[in-house]
Amino acid sequence: MPDGPLIVQSDKTLLLEVDHDQADACRRAIAPFAELERAPEHVHTYRLTPLGLWNARAAGHDAEQVVDTLLEFSRYPVPHALLVDVAETMSRYGRLQLVQDPVHGLVLHALDPAVLAEVTRSKRTAGLLGARIDDTDVLVHPSERGHLKQVLVKLGWPAEDLAGYVNGEAHQIDLQQDGWSLRPYQQQAVDGFFHGGSGVVVLPCGAGKTLVGAGAMARSSTTTLILVTNTVSARQWRDELVKRTSLTEDEIGEYSGTRKEVRPVTIATYQVLTTKRKGVYTHLELLDARDWGLIVYDEVHLLPAPIFRMTADLQARRRLGLTATLVREDGREDEVFSLIGPKRFDAPWKDIESQGYIAPAECVEVRLTLPDHERMTYATAEPEDRYRLAATAAGKNRVVDALVAKHAGEQTLVIGQYLDQLHDLAEHLGSDLITGETTVRERQRLFEAFRTGEITTLVVSKVANFSIDLPEASVAIQVSGSFGSRQEEAQRLGRIMRPKADGKTAHFYTVVARDTVDQEFAAHRQRFLAEQGYAYMIVDAEDLGVAR
Amino acid sequence: MATFTGYLRARSDDELVALLVRRPDLATPHPATLASLAARATSRSSLDRALTWVDALVLQVLEAVVVLTPGGGAPTPQDVADAIGAGPADAAHVARAVDDAVALALLWPDDDGALHVSPGLVDALGANVAGLAPGTADVRDPAEGADGTDAPSRPGPGPDPLADLADAPPGAASVLEALQWGPPVGRTPPPGTAAADAVTWLLAHGLLDRGDGRHVLLPRHVALALRGGRTHRAPALAPTPENAPVRDPQIVAAESARAAEQTVRLVRQLLTRWEQSPPGVLRAGGLGARDLRRTAQALDVDDAHTAWLVETAASAGLLADDGEESPSFVPTLEADVWAAQDVPPRWAALARAWLASARTPWLVGGRDERGALRAALDPELTRPWVPRLRRAVLDVLASAPPGAALTADDVHAALRWRSPRSVPPLAAVEAVLGDATRLGVLGAGALASAGRALVADEDAGAALAADLPAPVDEVLLQGDLTGVVPGRPGEDLEDLLELAAVVESRGGAVTVRFTAESVLRALDAGTTADDLLARLGTAARGRVPQPLEYLVRDVARRHGRVRAGAAASYVRADDPALLAGLADDPRLAGLRLRLLAPTVLVADASPRELLDALRARGLAPVAEDARGAVVHAVAPERRVRARGARTSPVRERDPADRAASVVATLRRGAPTDAPILAAAVPTAAVAPATPDLETPAPAPRRPRAAETGTAPRGGGGTSDPADVLVVLREAAQARVSVWVEIVGADGSSTRRLVRPLKVEGGRLRALDPRREAELTVAVHRIAGVAPADPPAP
Repeated sequence: MPDGPLIVQSDKTLLLEVDHDQADACRRAIAPFAELERAPEHVHTYRLTPLGLWNARAAGHDAEQVVDTLLEFSRYPVPHALLVDVAETMSRYGRLQLVQDPVHGLVLHALDPAVLAEVTRSKRTAGLLGARIDDTDVLVHPSERGHLKQVLVKLGWPAEDLAGYVNGEAHQIDLQQDGWSLRPYQQQAVDGFFHGGSGVVVLPCGAGKTLVGAGAMARSSTTTLILVTNTVSARQWRDELVKRTSLTEDEIGEYSGTRKEVRPVTIATYQVLTTKRKGVYTHLELLDARDWGLIVYDEVHLLPAPIFRMTADLQARRRLGLTATLVREDGREDEVFSLIGPKRFDAPWKDIESQGYIAPAECVEVRLTLPDHERMTYATAEPEDRYRLAATAAGKNRVVDALVAKHAGEQTLVIGQYLDQLHDLAEHLGSDLITGETTVRERQRLFEAFRTGEITTLVVSKVANFSIDLPEASVAIQVSGSFGSRQEEAQRLGRIMRPKADGKTAHFYTVVARDTVDQEFAAHRQRFLAEQGYAYMIVDAEDLGVAR
Repeated sequence: MATFTGYLRARSDDELVALLVRRPDLATPHPATLASLAARATSRSSLDRALTWVDALVLQVLEAVVVLTPGGGAPTPQDVADAIGAGPADAAHVARAVDDAVALALLWPDDDGALHVSPGLVDALGANVAGLAPGTADVRDPAEGADGTDAPSRPGPGPDPLADLADAPPGAASVLEALQWGPPVGRTPPPGTAAADAVTWLLAHGLLDRGDGRHVLLPRHVALALRGGRTHRAPALAPTPENAPVRDPQIVAAESARAAEQTVRLVRQLLTRWEQSPPGVLRAGGLGARDLRRTAQALDVDDAHTAWLVETAASAGLLADDGEESPSFVPTLEADVWAAQDVPPRWAALARAWLASARTPWLVGGRDERGALRAALDPELTRPWVPRLRRAVLDVLASAPPGAALTADDVHAALRWRSPRSVPPLAAVEAVLGDATRLGVLGAGALASAGRALVADEDAGAALAADLPAPVDEVLLQGDLTGVVPGRPGEDLEDLLELAAVVESRGGAVTVRFTAESVLRALDAGTTADDLLARLGTAARGRVPQPLEYLVRDVARRHGRVRAGAAASYVRADDPALLAGLADDPRLAGLRLRLLAPTVLVADASPRELLDALRARGLAPVAEDARGAVVHAVAPERRVRARGARTSPVRERDPADRAASVVATLRRGAPTDAPILAAAVPTAAVAPATPDLETPAPAPRRPRAAETGTAPRGGGGTSDPADVLVVLREAAQARVSVWVEIVGADGSSTRRLVRPLKVEGGRLRALDPRREAELTVAVHRIAGVAPADPPAP
């Protein structure tokens, strides 16, 4: 189409002009196979990757559909080599299948004997494959199902896992939809996951991933192991499950550093599973403690490497991954794909925001000019101390003051990394402080008070980054963070992206010391947030009325 | 009897011009007479050259005429068509091939339209014409020749050599079948096998000949009988790539235009980069591997692509060795002219240069015979056949249906058909196709209209201009500091973005990212923040996003905060008034004193001059060193570094040696002055008397022989060396005898009646029927030739 909304670049990026009439139709058409890389205001950038194309194949799309979509929406002729490459890449998925053979058990079955020959000759499959049955089949050691899939993805011949799952121990779980119900996209996510068997559901923070998990458990109605990032998160999962499902407190166990309960539904932390004593993972037996029918991985993008290794041995059980982003800072996206499964559902932030389920947000970077004596200290400091010096600049307190004053009456979180600074700030603002040292009981009390509006300002350290639920925070002020990590950004933004009762715009402030490394890290943040499509502004502290 | 010379003599001027155009080697140097033209046209080297570029069908026609000639006199074009198995459908192709062969003077038709082989062609075609063993007439048996069989008998012992085949043992048929279409030589099977029995039987019945001890030969007449009188299985028609996919013309145009634009852009970047930091020239004349890699990184393409760009730019005369003492490659003056043009003419200049270039950039990065790395721009990488190959490859593509994407194998097959006697290596064909794709002559594997124009010597630039998408002058600027030009940016926009942003991806659109570094670059180039924002604002759809504006302003704020300059010395004092006075003092103007700060002055004079000038003004300055310590006024020590020992041997060369080398040079340059040569003169004078020596002056001998010998009798005799050759060749072909006058070693001449067999390599091989012997004579000893037609005495 000569005036289409899409421009296909030869480097496999797709540029979608969002103001175009057909932008919506085009976005829906390319979403299954292209990964959204950035979504600023005018042109969204998608990328075609092998994993993305394989995800699309796993979801039942074929190369012809992909090519047709590109041709249909492209403004300019699509580079021929790219189309050939798409077809070639997609044809690689599913030429190998993992199937249960009634006689031989787990078998790698090839639709194309040449591929099987190539794969069996590879050094990397040595030890994973058993005896050759015939031209198209070779035995697989059941314990190596996961490793084999990992290796096959690396070899460029991802296998379709049709070997099925163990049913697991049945356990009745129902959703109790009294006065609430799963949102349409949540229901689609549950259906998409169950249809695919195993895989990952990608939803933005605040879009209700816990409910997708609960929905999947109800659908499965089996004993379930839930792996979460930390204890606070574990408690919140438990509370949410008790509230939303037929499960009672007694049916749900917590397996963490402090408690070791194994119940029909058990919530364990990554931390406890990866604890080693004398070089041995001491809590591995949990994975086999019951005949789990479903394993839920919360925050898949943070899944630590040892869990991947353990997951490789759990390939016969249904696995659900929940995450806000498939991007991993360690680049292990392919392991998520091979061990947990392909992406089964994806909804971009903007979509859910536009449906009114999460709050629109405005991001503001406040640049603070350091006074001369601090600049001199900074300039002569050792490189390793510089970030701390910049991040904890004294002037930031005044900026936070001004911002808190500006949003007086709104639920405000002040987030930081350095405890001294946070203590100082809490004192300065006269508000409560939550750090890693705060007891769980105290934490929950403060959160509850914040939730009810009893307190409006709360200073938190990075423990707040993961899986805490602060429904009414509408302003977040970040004073220091760990080196501009994208995940951290997603998490922090997620804190305030929960839907607001009044539908008001959320505000996300970052206070940055000008001309320091702090500002360099802020540039990463800015890029990430702007790429996500959030309005981003940079203002000078003076403009907020803060004196130099 | 009609002869080749006679035929040529009868041609019109236009026809001769056409011949000289098709066989340019005949025209250089200018032939003096038609006879010498004929001689040159029938020489082995010229025939080889002509045969090199005939296609497979012409070659078949030639072979067919050669094979048919001894049997039934000169064949007609229809005979030829039948012999190569061409049906009525192929008649036009065969007629074209015959016309080609005639136009090249490889065949010549007599007045009846029958085709004759030009003299010398049989030898040039080689031994096994059309996969046949040499014919009986070619097997030169002196005894047979003695019978005076000037008209060769019909080949074969009987009317049907295959009549006995019905009784042949099993396996005989398959032996014959294997040899039928050539090559006609088979290995003798080991004795005792069934095949050996079959071969024995075939030998006994004359259906095979014994070659050497281990090989057997299928006689020509048997092969022809087996082939049913045909010479070829089927006519060699031009291969048509049947499965070549046909690309959408829009895609071809888009991809070609994209590649063309990219090439122009990359060459421009290359020139800019080399202007700023020119790479050195290797001693052997090429570009160092490290410089190539560095350039490749800067251009963001791979090494091979860079090598090709560099070579193409150099072929277009945009880059050259600057000829300095330590030479570098730098842009030429032509590069400035080139850079000032629009994209299409710039591209056309590159494309024409590429097409005509004899360079082989694809060899860069490989190793030569001695294992040395082949460098880009290495003078060794020139191959004279490359321009012809490029044109041939493009010709093949141009003759394919529009949009057909031929593979290298398709093109190679077509080239093999076009010149079976000179097939280019497949790797070279692949490389040429790869280069053509990079250049944009091809798009999606098919010849684009610009490429078509290029190969047709039309205006390739205009053809490209038609395919280039309309330029876009709008950029979408976004909050994440990126910008997207949704199309091909116009020249101004491209310049702006290249100045102030980093390009992230190119294709149908261009995406850029603004960074502090890129904005700084723009400011360094003299743009101000307001200016830059104004230009961006004009180009942007909507307003410039706040973060971008902030970035530009923020960078501008920091830009130039630290300044640097040059000074040779300084003055410092605690008294600002004193320094201000010095700065304004006209007597010190020569020192160019400037006030940097109230207490610091800098000067362009050396510290010593400065001190002297200040003392002269009545001040009492002291000098200080880098740490501020006072240096006492002693005369500064002046030292120079001793010259390296490297040059001393040359300077201290023994004067005697130098004198000797001068003398040697004199001797080489002016031999007649040298007294030693007096001794050499007698030697030289003796030389002509020694017949076996190659003498410096052979010229006088032949006129002398011609004068002393009797002039050949009868009409048609000749003593012109060129004519001698053509008469001999014609005689060899016609198998007739001629009188030759041979000058002996002692200068005496003798006349002999001989039947020439072959003229090759400066020698005549001939049969003397009277003495029943073969003789070989150096052609330069033949003073004259006369036909034997007037009966010999």
